[in-house]
Amino acid sequence: MQSRTHLGGTSHILQSHAADRSKLERLSEAINDAAHLLPAQGPITVFIHHNTLHAFEDLPFHDAVRKGAHVFGCQPYLSEERYREALRRGRIRFADLQEVLERDLGQGASEPIPCFGSRMQLRLALLQYPLRTGPTAELVWHVAEANALRRVRTEASSATRARLLAETRRWVLRDLRVGRDNQARNGRNPATGHHGEQHVPESLAELLDRFGDSDIENWRDDDWEGFALQALWRVCCDGVRHLPQFTVPQGMSIRHRDLLFDATGTDPDALVHELLIRSVAAFLDQGLAHWQLPERDHGFYRAFCALYGQPGGPPNRWMRGLSTELRRLRNENVSPLESIAESLELLGVEEEEWDDYLSTTLLALRGWGGMVREVELRGDRVVQPIPTGSLVEFLAVRLVLDRFALAFLARESIDFPGPLSALRAALATRTDEHWPPSVEQRAFLVFQLAQIFGLSPDLLHRLDEAAWSRIVEEIETFSAIERRRIFHLAYEQRFNVQTLDAIAVHARRRKGRPVSPAFQVSCCLDEREESFRRHLEEIAPSVETFGAAGFYSVPMYYRGASDAHFTPLCPIVIKPQHWVTEDIDIKHAQEHRRRAKTRRVLGAASHRVHIGSRTVAGGALLTGGLGVLASIPLVGRILFPRLTAQLRQLASGFVQAPPVSNLCLERNDPTPGDENGHIGFTLAEMCDMGERLLRDIGLIDGFSRLVMLLGHGSNSQNNPHNSAYMCGACGGAAGGPNARAIARILNDPRVRAVLAERQLAIPADTFFVGGHHNTCNDSVTYSDLEDMPASHREEFDEARRLIDAALERNAHERCRRFMSAPLTLSFAQAREHVEARSEDLAQTRPELGHATNAIVFVGRREWTRGLFLDRRAFLTSYDPTQDDAECSILTRVLGAVFPVCSGINLEYYFSHVDNRGFGCGTKLPHNLAALLGVMDGAASDLRTGLPWQMVEIHEPVRSLFIIETSPEAMTRIMDRDLGIGRLCRNGWVQLAVLHPETGAIDLFDEGQFRRYHARASVLPTAPSSVDWYRGWRDHLEFAEIEAS
Amino acid sequence: MPDFEQASTLLGTLVVVSPLVMTFVLGITLLLDWPLTEQSIGRLVYSSIVVGLSAAVVILVLMLATGERHVAIDAGDWVEIPHHFHFSVKIVFDRLSVPLAILSFVLAGTIGAFATRYMHREPGFNRFFMLYAIFVLGMVATSLAGTIETLFAGWEFVGLSSALLVAFFQERAAPARNGLWVWTVYRVSDAALVLAAVAMHHLIGEGDFNELLGAGPWPDETSNVSTGDATIVGLLLVVAAAGKSGLVPFSGWLPRAMEGPTPSSAVFYGALSVHLGAFLLLRVSPLLERSPLVCVVVVALGLMTAVFAYLAASVQADIKSALSFASLSQVGIIVAEIGLGFTYLPLFHLLGHACLRTLQFVRAPTLLQDYRTLENAIGSRLPRTATPWMRFGGTGFHAWLYRFALERGYLDSLLTDYIVGPFVRTFRLCDSLERRWTDFLSGEASRESDQVKPHFGTIEEFS
Repeated sequence: MQSRTHLGGTSHILQSHAADRSKLERLSEAINDAAHLLPAQGPITVFIHHNTLHAFEDLPFHDAVRKGAHVFGCQPYLSEERYREALRRGRIRFADLQEVLERDLGQGASEPIPCFGSRMQLRLALLQYPLRTGPTAELVWHVAEANALRRVRTEASSATRARLLAETRRWVLRDLRVGRDNQARNGRNPATGHHGEQHVPESLAELLDRFGDSDIENWRDDDWEGFALQALWRVCCDGVRHLPQFTVPQGMSIRHRDLLFDATGTDPDALVHELLIRSVAAFLDQGLAHWQLPERDHGFYRAFCALYGQPGGPPNRWMRGLSTELRRLRNENVSPLESIAESLELLGVEEEEWDDYLSTTLLALRGWGGMVREVELRGDRVVQPIPTGSLVEFLAVRLVLDRFALAFLARESIDFPGPLSALRAALATRTDEHWPPSVEQRAFLVFQLAQIFGLSPDLLHRLDEAAWSRIVEEIETFSAIERRRIFHLAYEQRFNVQTLDAIAVHARRRKGRPVSPAFQVSCCLDEREESFRRHLEEIAPSVETFGAAGFYSVPMYYRGASDAHFTPLCPIVIKPQHWVTEDIDIKHAQEHRRRAKTRRVLGAASHRVHIGSRTVAGGALLTGGLGVLASIPLVGRILFPRLTAQLRQLASGFVQAPPVSNLCLERNDPTPGDENGHIGFTLAEMCDMGERLLRDIGLIDGFSRLVMLLGHGSNSQNNPHNSAYMCGACGGAAGGPNARAIARILNDPRVRAVLAERQLAIPADTFFVGGHHNTCNDSVTYSDLEDMPASHREEFDEARRLIDAALERNAHERCRRFMSAPLTLSFAQAREHVEARSEDLAQTRPELGHATNAIVFVGRREWTRGLFLDRRAFLTSYDPTQDDAECSILTRVLGAVFPVCSGINLEYYFSHVDNRGFGCGTKLPHNLAALLGVMDGAASDLRTGLPWQMVEIHEPVRSLFIIETSPEAMTRIMDRDLGIGRLCRNGWVQLAVLHPETGAIDLFDEGQFRRYHARASVLPTAPSSVDWYRGWRDHLEFAEIEAS
Repeated sequence: MPDFEQASTLLGTLVVVSPLVMTFVLGITLLLDWPLTEQSIGRLVYSSIVVGLSAAVVILVLMLATGERHVAIDAGDWVEIPHHFHFSVKIVFDRLSVPLAILSFVLAGTIGAFATRYMHREPGFNRFFMLYAIFVLGMVATSLAGTIETLFAGWEFVGLSSALLVAFFQERAAPARNGLWVWTVYRVSDAALVLAAVAMHHLIGEGDFNELLGAGPWPDETSNVSTGDATIVGLLLVVAAAGKSGLVPFSGWLPRAMEGPTPSSAVFYGALSVHLGAFLLLRVSPLLERSPLVCVVVVALGLMTAVFAYLAASVQADIKSALSFASLSQVGIIVAEIGLGFTYLPLFHLLGHACLRTLQFVRAPTLLQDYRTLENAIGSRLPRTATPWMRFGGTGFHAWLYRFALERGYLDSLLTDYIVGPFVRTFRLCDSLERRWTDFLSGEASRESDQVKPHFGTIEEFS
């Protein structure tokens, strides 16, 4: 049986290599290396923002994005059209473009290029003007459609056009015709004849004939234009015809599938993926399907072999023989790794190709592959863990299926009978080469540029081959990716200048800390809190605000009173060592138990309904009996989301846990754990956490009587990506419990006594209040208010009123970015608008998340207070004057700030520049799969990254870190913390330091700090934020706000 | 009662005209490239749904008040070949069509409101609402149809808009492929319906349901058609219904239809489209009664679909497929109920199922939060409900059944590899025979198109 030889691995292959253990080890390493390229996004319920190109972080940014673009087949930057559009509307300034280009070219900028001035001028033109290029057939079409051989390009000014025509005319009338007449007289013999300068090429002679040069004196302007262009075209073609190639061909793919797809248009992956997605989803499923995959516990490979190995299986023609093969693997006990080796052998993949072959194979279904890896590595984060080695098993199954699909389609489409190892050779001859470019393709670029520069055919005709070579080399080596890199640098430079200028100018007007503030508020460093803090400071100038990483130095696993499980609340880089639970106050315990029971009964009932609606009999009863009633919530929730939400809250108020609860914070047992008696922190740990927070944000004196500590989260409906809107410093969860915990710790008199011994005296009349800011509906809830001394009540009520007012304004400022919110909303209406948004099932943009984030400021608030930063800056409070010489505080602050903020920024960057490749595309067709992620529509790869609705208004720039410290201190930190050093030195973030005393700014560029000189001397000012942003939808310039 | 007649004619016309106006306004502005703003589309959809719905509700109230159970509005013959054929357009309000029309308006209206926000800033916003309008028009026309021609027109509108909505994200390959799949299945079902219409004309000379099903208001008509005729027309209608409702063996299209934006999956394939087949059978139920064979076939198809879809639903690991199979299993039951001769029961079942399923589909993305809420309420991980009877027959059978369910009963591959494949091969064979014959006749390679490569010309040619 012929198929047997290339489909079924025979055991002798196995035996001859079984002895070679080291080969399998090498294979295992190769798989491991390839696996690093898979997306590192875990289950969607815990969305951790991270650098999408994490695998390439040890490369400089621009090299990495280029490599990433190649490996993943994605875009490294925005498209040229987007950048050109930014240039048109002034977002990129021409001067910046010039400056960036000059810096990039260095010495070579002024090097002359024949006819085109300098390299600088030529490159600028290439950046400014979109040149048409494409396959020759497309160019033919373009010429026909755009009349490109009849009309000069519109970008050429009328003067340039006139010059082109005049010079052509002069050349033709004076030189060409005369030369031609001489030629005619002497007889055309290019081989021996000596024609001097006035040699008329054949092509031009033919052109003259065609235009009818006998009445050349009567040609109209139109004729001259056509003639000039066609002469130019012919000269360009002649010029480039014999030039060497300056570009290198793109390597051919080494996957059989790609070659087969290119050659025949049939796609084996379509067959394989349909089956593979189905099975791997069933394998990974965390409880969506009622019926679990049989033999799931034995791993994917065994389960798959067992399932598809039995006879009487799918009748699909491409799967013929699959069950026999799977039975063989099972019976002969072939391990997954051996099976991979066997498949590679059968596919004819040599050992030196392993790395590339395995990575392209894994990346073909990267989302699912990545999820297998994540669930395998972090079994603690899922309900149903999977055995180690699952990724290898996944790959083994995949390669077996690949073999069958390839063999089937190769036979069907090209009658390929031979062994699969010969398939690539057979296909290589059938694929179209896109390289080298045709003469037309090369000439067309020069042709277009010549029009823009107004170069006459005469001029180009006289160039020698060396000159042509120089021109074409310069044009071709300034490739599209290079152009986009330059554009991107200019795009970022404009923003950096604006930001640094704003900080530098505003520094002159800074005031110190407010003396005896009315109250103090600390928020998460999140850039969404920037506007909230600003508005609060505007309406209450005596308030002081701080920014801290939102886990408030309390890393913990937390379980609320009505939660079923513990959730880790801290940045992903920290693994919590402590467990904290919420308990109900003893007075309400009975009530709580009753309510918990009701909840349990209701929960079990609704679970039964949920399941029942999908069964036959239960479904019939339900839908037939009660189905019509579903129209009430359906219509209500869709047409009146806010009202329905209020009713629902009213109803659930009867069964929710009573609002009076306690945090189990303190532990006496030495070992922490998640069981009774081990919950909580010791007193010493609490003191350390409290001290650390206060020192981090620089709040060690000047305490007001009331200090609010606000965590944040976001609540929205119908949103699988909900976790991505939550607090990044709490690992994609709501940070309210952390704020509550730290407030209780700091209110503890024993803690205060210890802190006083450590030179951190908190006045006795200072009271800390924990709270939670819901950034979606802009509400704040406070916790443990019953512990508040009566003396503070009045102040608290006043503070709450001010915070509420600030929240309304914050909602108002957010609404300017929602296209569906009218610009005429009042503050109160804006609040209602965002409330409705958070409850609306149909709302795909409940809030805009971290979109537009671009700045990370670490330093005292006084530098940025009164500055309108447009919700674009992460603001971390840090006071360098209280730090030691080693900058130990800054080091630990940056240890949390860098991974969190750069992770968010880079994830937004990549999800925006290539939303389909790096992001997860539009939300609209998303389909929740296996409770782990989303697919597009009925079945697709698992989509990682951010949806378009989240990143739509983002400006993809690398974040600019501005840190209040000295260049030397920052350099030391970069040396000490390798992660930070790598991010800064490889340009994944941009870095500037702000001198704590003088306010001078040093920009980190190419490995060293250089003094930044502000280009602006004044900033626009506005009486209040509202006056500055009102009526404006787009990004805004930074401005000084007088009110605060 | 002339007043009642006038009022009902006016209202009845309004019910059909309001979605028609919506379709025309959207279509013409798109054709002329004057894209409406999102807001005006929202207002247009809102007003036409409200007008249509109110008119339908008023008719219902009038009919209830007067006790009239059958109101027909005849738009006359649009084509007439005396003694042979006439194509008449006629809409009928009775106990079957009014609830379904109201259901269509309520669900489509709610989803319209949903979509104006859900589709906000989507590049295909106008296209979506264009297709939506065609769909609503088709649904209303089908539910109210009084002749098989009118029904067919509405049926086609629904089919066309559905297939295009599945392929809404046309820049990706999978939606286009699956849209084509849906379209193909619909064509088979349409062909059966057309054959049924031809058969009807052949039997009774016109397409009017009254003639076929006998006089009297639904469902109390008594058909006078002979058993043999009823079997032929009935079986054709069953094929049409099976295609449209995704009954076995056509079930594969339903999960594939989940490619479009969530609202269109929800209302169209989860709730309305998928019930059209059942509706068709309900409409002709008096005819079915005449033929025991057809009834048996209908019951068997319904039950098979219900069991098969239940099995498939319990192994699907993504929410939209799980819901679509769950939906299908209820449609199977509804069809079985019709086959058993019930009329009001399946109607009520259909209405309830459509509402509940729409709600579930619309809330599908919120499943994670729902699970979390449920887990918190129950206080532990959700139990996996292993259905006991699946354990019968040992692990071998268990695994076999699981694979059968996971592979969706192999229905798709059976259709492609064993129906479509041979079909295509047969025609290719005919083609090659023809070529051989013409080659023989002309004594040389007779088909020039085989040798000629596509020709792009050169740039100079366009100078």
